[in-house]
Amino acid sequence: MARLKSAADLEKARQKILSKRDPTKPCVTICSGTGCHALGSDKVYEALVSEISKNGLRRRVDLRRTGCHGFCERGPIIVIFPDEICYLGVKPEDVPEIISATLSGNRPIDRLLYEDGDGKKIAHEGEIPFYKYQRRMVFGSNRLIDPKNIDDYIALGGYSALGKVLFEMSPEEVLDTVKRANLRGRGGGGFPAGDKWETTRNTPGDIKYVIVNADEGDPGAFMDRSLLEGNPHSVLEGLIIGAYAIGSHEGFVYVRQEYPLAVSNLSLALSQARKYGLLGKNILGSGFDFDVTIHRGAGAFISGESSALMTAIEGMVGEPRPKYIRTAVSGVWERPSNLNNVETWANVPLIINRGADWFTSIGTDGSKGTKIFSLVGKVKNTGLVEVPMGMTLREIIYTIGGGIRQGRKFKAVQTGGPSGGCLPESLIDLPVDFDELTKADSMMGSGGMIVMDEDTCMVDVARYFLHFLADESCGKCVPCRTGLEQMVNILDRICEGEGETGDIELLEEISEVVREASLCALGQTAPNPVLSTTKYFRDEYEAHIEGKRCPAGVCKALISYYIDPDKCTACGICLRDCPVEAISGGKNLVHIIDQDKCTKCSTCFEVCPTRFSAVVKISGEPVPVAPPLGTKVARKKGKQE
Amino acid sequence: MTKGKAKTRSKDLAGEGGLFPESVLSRISDKLGIPISEVSHVVETLGQVAQVAGDTDRIIEEYKGDKSALIQILLGIQRENRWLPSDVLMSVCEKLGVPISRAYRIATFYKAFSLNPQGRHQVSVCMGTACHVRGAPRLLDRVIEAVHIKPGETSLDQRFSLETVNCVGCCALGPVVVIDSDYHSNPAKKELEAVVSACD
Repeated sequence: MARLKSAADLEKARQKILSKRDPTKPCVTICSGTGCHALGSDKVYEALVSEISKNGLRRRVDLRRTGCHGFCERGPIIVIFPDEICYLGVKPEDVPEIISATLSGNRPIDRLLYEDGDGKKIAHEGEIPFYKYQRRMVFGSNRLIDPKNIDDYIALGGYSALGKVLFEMSPEEVLDTVKRANLRGRGGGGFPAGDKWETTRNTPGDIKYVIVNADEGDPGAFMDRSLLEGNPHSVLEGLIIGAYAIGSHEGFVYVRQEYPLAVSNLSLALSQARKYGLLGKNILGSGFDFDVTIHRGAGAFISGESSALMTAIEGMVGEPRPKYIRTAVSGVWERPSNLNNVETWANVPLIINRGADWFTSIGTDGSKGTKIFSLVGKVKNTGLVEVPMGMTLREIIYTIGGGIRQGRKFKAVQTGGPSGGCLPESLIDLPVDFDELTKADSMMGSGGMIVMDEDTCMVDVARYFLHFLADESCGKCVPCRTGLEQMVNILDRICEGEGETGDIELLEEISEVVREASLCALGQTAPNPVLSTTKYFRDEYEAHIEGKRCPAGVCKALISYYIDPDKCTACGICLRDCPVEAISGGKNLVHIIDQDKCTKCSTCFEVCPTRFSAVVKISGEPVPVAPPLGTKVARKKGKQE
Repeated sequence: MTKGKAKTRSKDLAGEGGLFPESVLSRISDKLGIPISEVSHVVETLGQVAQVAGDTDRIIEEYKGDKSALIQILLGIQRENRWLPSDVLMSVCEKLGVPISRAYRIATFYKAFSLNPQGRHQVSVCMGTACHVRGAPRLLDRVIEAVHIKPGETSLDQRFSLETVNCVGCCALGPVVVIDSDYHSNPAKKELEAVVSACD
């Protein structure tokens, strides 16, 4: 397509794209996001290509590889338009039937449909409870477009907000709209984006930068990855609009090199946008110049902190600096630099197109719009969910997430990544927004939501996060470097059964110092996982310290496995699978674990057939004395009691 | 003698280029107490990786010799070469006009870089939160057992490198191990063994 030279050209181009597309023509979309890719969507795609051509349907059926649909748990996902028939967990061998039954015969295939708790099949994607209760304004287009094709984005009205801004609005009006929308940063702190933009705009200087922070380092969060992979143009459009409002002509996208698909889809998006005249010199003939460089992060959690990220863009080691002067005033090469997170930028075109009033009509008093969460852990329906601010944890976890897996009991939900906290069952009706989460000693963070059940040890979780943070601390300031190390030592001791009375108080005391005295947000928020667990789950700490017991049965030093002689049928599975040969036994002889050899790897516990359940995990009590070697089993294999 | 030292010695020998007489290899094999087949394999592999990065210049050129692109250039070399040999770091710094200390600081700060040759197959076990609560530590134990090396190590025959990573963004499938670029969701012992034995 030729370079677009005006907003009218853009609209003409959109009409032209639409005129070539027949909305009634069947279109098979297959999710090619990271989750579905990992589950084998490539092979399903290949099968689709070959079956479609084998059946001579190439002219009659469109095939499209889209970004992440969010329901990663049940991938690979196929949705067939125009009826939006949704198939989950599709395998290559299902493809011929999909072609013959659904495409040629218009019949859905029951076994590939979603089945609700009552056994009712649901054919349409939008009616599956996981999707039905979401409000997907930012993430929704992912399922409709091929991220490698700019025409798909333009067909949905993409870049119309940019056209509107460049020709109908002054930079001040854009800024005013974003401020009135009260768009808060989706990356962690929740700082109002409009205020930040204004600071950078008002700081004197000819050269200013705008930056997309796609260094999504929080373990358990992957919404930025999915947005950048699945709809890169929405982020880019937001960035260009921001640059126009701020008066910047140069931008950066800082993206983790661990996200290769995001890097390649974004690179392609940039070159397509340049070709269309949507990026580069004289954008859409408006006279506004702006271009973007991609900077790959080399793997350091701390480099997602704004000042560290900007140092990394300069080609140095990404360590933070004190922020007496904010990066919005003095950032990359000491020039005013405005940094926002991927999801924040992707909200901007929506606000421009639909107005600040529309945006503020969604959400709570202090937090407007929606938020994408990665709902993961011990919940039934894991994946990415976008909900209006203010939805309660219960609605997210139970209504959308379908509750806890395997009928276990909910224990806690961890929000906000390593800087966040664990919320107990008593807070399950908490409305989720920036301020409520902070009040409850957690935070929004980038939107990780990790559900934990009764088999999760909260001391172990705190220890896990502290290990992560101590490992990722850059070591520049003492409170963070040394404080976290001491906290890790104490938590390790507690989990190894060597905790002492007073350890909890000591942890809390160090936490206060680290929180108050650290240089950057990593250290300042690092104690949160400890403080929230000592507050809400203090009894678990006490059980570890005083009772030398891990109630969830996780901490290896505090648990033992033994085989109940009354239940053992001498089936030999555990004996065969034990990696350290700690189990002895024989035909019709009770199997016995040698406690000295046992490494507590849990293999025997997992492989023992549930109908026997002979392997027992115990904590805080002595291991029962095993019968002498050579004792015959009381119960025969296969017999039920 | 530790494995690290063994590698360095073999690399010195391999660095001279060409093949070694059997007698040299058997002497190394005796001194290090490892089978001669492994010694020759290591020497051969290191001989290949020592011929590094003839393409360093091209990668530097891609970024127009820009000093601020040092991290990007090192990422490019790391990706193509699987590690950053010291002579390559020296030559990059010389060409860009930056102190070698900066390159080493970057190479030791970021996780993406390796100052040792990496195995042909990269095994990464995800230790992200979602994977952790769904049993990543137990998966890691199984992986260690299958590849016979610990996280951070490379097998002597350069077959595998094992590392733990902090989230590969596949949380819905956790716990996950990524072998080369294939993702495996909580593979059982047998499945792991099958995947590992398919790696040459």
